[in-house]
Amino acid sequence: MMRDQLGPTVSILGADGKQTGETTPLPAVFKAPIRPDIVQSVHTGMAKNKRQPYAVSVKAGHQTSAESWGTGRAVARIPRVSGGGTHRAGQAAFGNQCRSGRMFAPTKTWRKWHVKVPQGQRRFATASAVAASAAVPLVMARGHRVSEVSELPLVIANSAFAGLEKTRAAVALLKSIGAYADVVKVTKSKKTRAGKGKLRGRRHRQRRGPLVIFNPADETSSNVAKAFRNIPGVETSSVSSLNLLQLAPGGHLGRFVIWTESAFNSLNTIYGSTTEAGEGKKNYLLPSNVVSQSDLVRLINSSEVQSVLRPTKGGAKQKKGGYAGVLKKNPLKNKQVMLRLNPYAKAFAAEKLGSQKVEGSKERPGLTETFKKVLNSA
Amino acid sequence: MSYPNLSADVFWECTRNRSSYMVKRGHGTSQTIFSKEPMNLKNIHSRKNSGLVNEKAIGVMPGTDRGVILITKTSNEKNGQKPIKLFQKTELKKHNRKVYGSIVNTTAKKYYRPDLRADAVARASAILHSQRKQKGSSSSA
Repeated sequence: MMRDQLGPTVSILGADGKQTGETTPLPAVFKAPIRPDIVQSVHTGMAKNKRQPYAVSVKAGHQTSAESWGTGRAVARIPRVSGGGTHRAGQAAFGNQCRSGRMFAPTKTWRKWHVKVPQGQRRFATASAVAASAAVPLVMARGHRVSEVSELPLVIANSAFAGLEKTRAAVALLKSIGAYADVVKVTKSKKTRAGKGKLRGRRHRQRRGPLVIFNPADETSSNVAKAFRNIPGVETSSVSSLNLLQLAPGGHLGRFVIWTESAFNSLNTIYGSTTEAGEGKKNYLLPSNVVSQSDLVRLINSSEVQSVLRPTKGGAKQKKGGYAGVLKKNPLKNKQVMLRLNPYAKAFAAEKLGSQKVEGSKERPGLTETFKKVLNSA
Repeated sequence: MSYPNLSADVFWECTRNRSSYMVKRGHGTSQTIFSKEPMNLKNIHSRKNSGLVNEKAIGVMPGTDRGVILITKTSNEKNGQKPIKLFQKTELKKHNRKVYGSIVNTTAKKYYRPDLRADAVARASAILHSQRKQKGSSSSA
């Protein structure tokens, strides 16, 4: 009864990875609609905001005094390098098709690098990504190894972080809660990057592991961030500044998130609910689900829907007959269908008329005496 | 499930076009999308065959040395949020026909995904066939 009033609860794990016996109510943000379309479009915009401008030199391809030779010299009218005494003289210049010419549509530093994403959409996407981090199939489909995790959302008691200062302790914690398999996946995935990125400070590429979210108000928070930051693939984030790029990398929902107890409990104060604005988001209400029951089978089979449906036309018999309600059965194989078409079939079969010999003369039609007479008389 | 925003239908819409288990082979009209999911009997990426999305699903894997392992999902209502308790594994090591029998008896005959009955048996049969010793290479026995 109590449970129903409070709604779903989440159990809290201790440092040993076992349940402490305490539970905490599920914050309202976890009931936000899961919208991959919104998350993807917001991610596409936000991912562009870290870019730095680049462009080719404005002078590139134009540092020559080439001029066209005009017509009548049996060569193309493209500008040509003047002078003599070097191979370069007489070669075509400037054009994008020319060797050492300018590129087509030279890139400019004033390209539109950044995209402004409306705040409402950003908040919707973040709430959606948080909600998806509690969906086991979505987290697994993102590629996280969570089969040994006891529960999603994964909440760890504050006491587990009390003395946690060393990365070794952080690794031990990840192992005890069953999250280390995801780190192993990251370590194994490390590959050298293809292309020029290798020379530009992006030598390797690897998967993303768990995201540890802490509460910056905690005394332990700076230690938590330091203890976890050198584990491959593990990222840390403050609950007050959640980032969609971390919650849904690549625009794909379902990041594996590890919450500290106090971060988890502060979600309601930060995000509020669908009816009350949270402290962290001024005048912002969480989005509601358009349908309250997203399970379509349950929706179709519900008594509300079933009670207003008309019964199947023609009953079960006709239902089997496909769209037209007629199932054509073979009367030669189905006795009942044969009898419906031909009532005489019963007597015909009972008296075995089909296998009786024809009585009378054995003469075949063409060999009778009468036939011979007629044939010969003509 | 007590979460109104989570259901098999939502999961399928999310994973239909993006899933780490997807394997695309071929091009254009001849493209087939396979699935690497452990609980996918036909290894085909579809709503029916997806073991991740459906609340009830059957998986058949090769056993440790011989036989097969049957995987089913436990109650979604209870364990939908608990990955460690979500899957139930049973090792079947008996004679072939008994293996098929126990697969059918524990699943389809208990109204647990009767639509997957033939696929489950076929997969178990294929696994058992692959475990059979080659005729020529048998050691002295």
